[in-house]
Amino acid sequence: MKLTAIGIRRLLQVSSALVIVGLLIEIVSLLWFHPLSFVLFAFVAVALIGLGILVYLASLVLVVTPAAGNSS
Amino acid sequence: MIGMLICQIVLSIILASIFLVRPSLTSATGWKIVAFIGLCVLPGLCIVGGINTHVERSETTRFCTSCHVMVPYGRSLYVDDANHIPAQHLQNHRVPVDMACYSCHEDYTIYGPLKDKMQGLKRIYMQYVSTPPDPAAIRIPGGFKNAQCLHCHSGARSFEENPVHAAMMDSLKSNQVSCLGSGCHDTAHDIANLDHLKFWKPIQ
Repeated sequence: MKLTAIGIRRLLQVSSALVIVGLLIEIVSLLWFHPLSFVLFAFVAVALIGLGILVYLASLVLVVTPAAGNSS
Repeated sequence: MIGMLICQIVLSIILASIFLVRPSLTSATGWKIVAFIGLCVLPGLCIVGGINTHVERSETTRFCTSCHVMVPYGRSLYVDDANHIPAQHLQNHRVPVDMACYSCHEDYTIYGPLKDKMQGLKRIYMQYVSTPPDPAAIRIPGGFKNAQCLHCHSGARSFEENPVHAAMMDSLKSNQVSCLGSGCHDTAHDIANLDHLKFWKPIQ
């Protein structure tokens, strides 16, 4: 499956948003000294950041390659 | 340490924000590299740094006693009684004061720290989802193993030259005779009687 440039930009935005939200939650978990802060980090922040990275990597894999006839 | 990690997280957020607002920038080769760093490398490093920080933090006495159930155990470290094993270990700095719980309760095996973390998650589940146990009724699954005492005491002159220890060294090492349960050093965290005990106040 290949995506158009617009689709890839959308994927990049989704990836950025997931990474940003995950990192903000990580900051909260680092500043909050509570047993639940580890749970917040391990199950929410890591999941969001990891998903963001995966979406970004997917956008690299699914990039549209120029057709062979158009390469010249 | 946390300050540096937060700086790294903020830098990562700034880079990710650029691609949230202007994803079209990635059509240029230079920005492709920046996107790879901002959306893959730095967030990955932030996860590693976060795991490291949280794991280190979970080994501190302050973290262990931040659970309501563990508060009386934290208090028991200041009991003014030389027979009270955890208290005399902390008060005489036989264990690092800021890692007192972890020093004696860590499972000193390859996967021990991982097992401890899973046990900790189970306790968080019990605290917030299931029914938290009565602090006085908490018991270590499988009992307190001698290996945790011997990790520090084994090889120490005062321990090895003690005639009682020397006579039963093999039984102690094979866990056949328990250091705590055999009647020799049986006063650990005496939570049930905590209100009747005297406490030591460290000089600030």
